Amino acid sequence: MSYPAKLEAIISLFEGLPDPEKRETLIAYSDQAKAQEPGEGESFDLEDIRKDEECTDTVAVFLRIDDAGGAHFRIALGPQVQTLTKAMSSILCKGLDGITPEEILEIPADFVPRIVGAELVRLRSQTVYYLLTRMKGIVKVWLRRKQAGRD
Amino acid sequence: MSIDSNYVHPEVLVTTAWMADHLKDDGIRIIESNEDVLLYDVGHIPGAVHIDWQRDLQDHTVRDYIQPEAFAELCRRNGITPETTCIFYGDKSNWWSCYALWVFRLFGHTKVRIVDGGRDKWIAEGRPLTREVPAFAPVDYPVPSARLDREIRAFYDDALAQSKASRPLIDVRSPGEFKGLVTHMPEYPQEGVLRGGHIPGARSVPWKEAVNADATFKSAAELKAIYQENLGLKTDDDVIAYCRIGERSSHTWFVLNYLLGFTKVRNYDGSWTEWGNRVGAPIEKSV
Repeated sequence: MSYPAKLEAIISLFEGLPDPEKRETLIAYSDQAKAQEPGEGESFDLEDIRKDEECTDTVAVFLRIDDAGGAHFRIALGPQVQTLTKAMSSILCKGLDGITPEEILEIPADFVPRIVGAELVRLRSQTVYYLLTRMKGIVKVWLRRKQAGRD
Repeated sequence: MSIDSNYVHPEVLVTTAWMADHLKDDGIRIIESNEDVLLYDVGHIPGAVHIDWQRDLQDHTVRDYIQPEAFAELCRRNGITPETTCIFYGDKSNWWSCYALWVFRLFGHTKVRIVDGGRDKWIAEGRPLTREVPAFAPVDYPVPSARLDREIRAFYDDALAQSKASRPLIDVRSPGEFKGLVTHMPEYPQEGVLRGGHIPGARSVPWKEAVNADATFKSAAELKAIYQENLGLKTDDDVIAYCRIGERSSHTWFVLNYLLGFTKVRNYDGSWTEWGNRVGAPIEKSV
């Protein structure tokens, strides 16, 4: 399947990079993770904030649906979240911005190794997939509520 | 905070303050080992090299550690000689630095230290990080004559014998994993384990009990209370620690071996990803 245009552009960028530059670019995206946090006074249609005491840290996903039906995400991450996951939060907030909830549910996770590269995709790095799962999760809830509102 | 002089081997720990004052000492190599594969690249203690537990220490073609030749080569390219004191630190309360230290011990490298509190404490104290990767002229590191698998490492058969003989087995995973309620830590990926539970006879002492909130090790008195008074272990007991893939149990191995002075502790690195999947391996649940 084809990816949303913004995500496709990011995938293409990474696929053209040699490994050292890929790492640098991932770090640059991870440095932008803070910028994906909710801004002062921003309001959302749904919020999903969860913390895991054992290992990973807080992952808070905020969803706003605009009047045209486009989804906009904000993500706040605790300090212990892995660098790859931080990078993926920036990539996904930008790459999925403005597409519909239905389109988000259709996105397969197979773009992750295309961005991250085979060397960095490890069992213990698979929280990069977790973010997309969480984003799909909040979108599903929004769709269910919307459906319930119609029924 | 200073290092508790009541540890049996207090010299194996250094404080972050000591580390900051000795960054340029001759005869040391600072080594970062993390779970987060990009963390070293984000910034590390000035002068530190990166040793990656998967890329540098393991041989995935045989699910084993590297051979002595590869270990010698790893040391040579990182400017480490047999006389170099290797000072490890990392994320996750030093799980992976203890793991890397343990692997260095497998090859007979005994000059090892841990930065108490690891990477988190270093950063929390506002100490400097750099992205500059140091380069060292290659040095000589003779190929170790053997890997000391029989001394500080346990295999499946060793763990099975330990279980059958009712000798001490410490399961350092989270309580839910021990009870068989889950096969992975919350929010962590499932690492291919088919069954949940623990090795029959194992006692649950999560690794986390050995550390303070700032990732430093608890005092000698507190550690003795956990492992010796409450669990009833003696320092000359034959003990095997395990977790899921051997990193959290390396942390407990470090505590028992160095801080409490246990003389025969082994780390079962195959751990639950081997035991939980092994055909014919007995398990217990919910004790």
